[in-house]
Amino acid sequence: MSGVVVLQAAALAVLVAANAPAGGAESHLLAGAAHFRAERYDAALVEFRVAEKLGEPEAAGYAGAALVKLDRFEEAVETFETAGDGGLPLHDYYRALACYGARLYTCADRLLAGLGDRSGPRIAEQARAIRAELAPALAAAPSETTLAWYRARCQARRAEGRAALAAAYCREADALATRAGTTRAADPDGDVTPRNGG
Amino acid sequence: MLAPLLSLALAAMDPCAPVEPLPPDPAAAQAYRAVGDSELAAGARDSAAAAYREALARDPVDAASRAALARLCAARGEDPFQEGLRKLDAEDLAGAARAFEAAFAADGSAPAALLGGIARYELGDDASAERLLRAAEREPAHREEARFYLGLVALRAGDGTRAASLLEGAAANPALASPALDLARLARRDGRLVLSFLAESGWDSNVNLGPGGPEGVAPRSDGTASLSASALWRPRGARGPYLRAGGLWHELARLDAYDLGGVEAAAGWQLRAGNRGAAAEYEYAHRALGGEDYLGAHRLLASGWLRRGRAAVTGSYAVRFESYAGNWSPFSGVLQRAEARASLDATSRLRLGVAYAGARDAADEPVLSFWEHGPRAEARVLLGRARLGVDLGLTFRSYDAFDAALGARRRDTYLDGATFLEVDLADRWIARAGVVGRHALSNVDALSYDQVAPSVAIGYTLGR
Repeated sequence: MSGVVVLQAAALAVLVAANAPAGGAESHLLAGAAHFRAERYDAALVEFRVAEKLGEPEAAGYAGAALVKLDRFEEAVETFETAGDGGLPLHDYYRALACYGARLYTCADRLLAGLGDRSGPRIAEQARAIRAELAPALAAAPSETTLAWYRARCQARRAEGRAALAAAYCREADALATRAGTTRAADPDGDVTPRNGG
Repeated sequence: MLAPLLSLALAAMDPCAPVEPLPPDPAAAQAYRAVGDSELAAGARDSAAAAYREALARDPVDAASRAALARLCAARGEDPFQEGLRKLDAEDLAGAARAFEAAFAADGSAPAALLGGIARYELGDDASAERLLRAAEREPAHREEARFYLGLVALRAGDGTRAASLLEGAAANPALASPALDLARLARRDGRLVLSFLAESGWDSNVNLGPGGPEGVAPRSDGTASLSASALWRPRGARGPYLRAGGLWHELARLDAYDLGGVEAAAGWQLRAGNRGAAAEYEYAHRALGGEDYLGAHRLLASGWLRRGRAAVTGSYAVRFESYAGNWSPFSGVLQRAEARASLDATSRLRLGVAYAGARDAADEPVLSFWEHGPRAEARVLLGRARLGVDLGLTFRSYDAFDAALGARRRDTYLDGATFLEVDLADRWIARAGVVGRHALSNVDALSYDQVAPSVAIGYTLGR
């Protein structure tokens, strides 16, 4: 198990203990944290989901983290969207990873930028590395084809009844369109012709 | 707390394993069952099994969880898609391809068609790959990924136009846009028929390889201009036979005696199968120096390569039968060269390579015959629409016989370096700036020299 995973799981356990709710949800949160720490993310997800169903509101954020670990990024985005803004740095970090995995790059960048020093040095370092990786892509003006892709995905997810996820894709399209306008205004001589005729 | 955790650790995901009862807790059991249902609906069989097992452990009369587990247990051994994933993880590409094809045949699963197509592409079975990828392309969720690999299949078949079109289609997916557009640009320069032209201008610090040099004169620098053209015809794409022809003219501004012209023609055959390939080629080349006949050479070349993950190894052997004209005729003979090379894609934008080569030139005149060997290292960096290259090489050459004219048996060491920056100006146009240099050391002082030659070039490549 990597040091970062241990650190994350330990932080999760501490957070769970510090915010321990009354009733049976607590034991499921702790069981989920133990599974998460042991990298049994399927089992961790089940425990977090059960805790959520038994009335623990913060469990959704932990379930989102487990979904990220299982590479189920769109479900993780949905889970974080419905969980609301918990304000926990660990949740924000995993929420950013979920956005990144679902190709919601401005969402990921915004969340990582908001982490600041709240998350501790190791996660802050990882956040900086991901933001550096995203920077060139976000600096370039997105093509019309790219914007159309996000809008199409928004419509497709809405048609599937996944409103929260659809909204995330629509917000991404809007954010990219705003960036495109800003980039082109700053570089009036730049090539604004869609590269794929889109 | 510990007991259920240990139990889960041992058999949490196995839907067929016996379920150890826990103290009854109907409320928790109901929550686990609901989670199992939602996980199963999401296609997550492992977590669904874990949830149903927990439900059943807390409520042994939960018929719904028992039935769901039984279905998962029955399906476990019959799920070719999961089997394909396991084989993919184990790098058993052929096994994975068969399993994904079975999954696709069973239920028309688009993910199975996509993964099966990719596995078949990696195995070099392009016909099967195209059939599966076409099926995956019909599913909107996988359309761009399928088009990306269909583009690679077309590229390998030498159909540059179709490859470019498919790769541009794949670029609609933002995650694929960068590699797809880069490959589309390359595809427009590829095809069954490829025509290339390059115009170059530069400067050579030491045309006559002084001080000393063969003529015993001081170094003489000069401006250079070159034109070269080549044509490649591959009627069956990247596999099968090919014909190649080319010509070059390298002119110096003042030192006309060193003007070099040449033509060459080659015929070869390439074999490719999955992650390995081989090629054999015959080439005839003719060169003129200073406007006079200089060299005619027949060359046979064999090479092979093997790729595994991000690493590749290549081996090559060439033998060239050289016939020099006029005063150069003592240099005539047989040149043999072998090289082993290993390269690694260190990142998606950085390729590193090392090689070791050995050569034997058996010239008609023994004092001109030599052995040489030495290592090379190279780096290639992709910088958006530009490519940066750096090469370094060290060669140790030892001549066969004592040269009475030099008063020594000659031994040379060459340190070679080259770097270039190549920029895509447009789909078929490139600009290139580079510099090559050599530091030559010899036990015969008059044959030691330094040479630097910077140049700029513009090139055009058309693929059809």
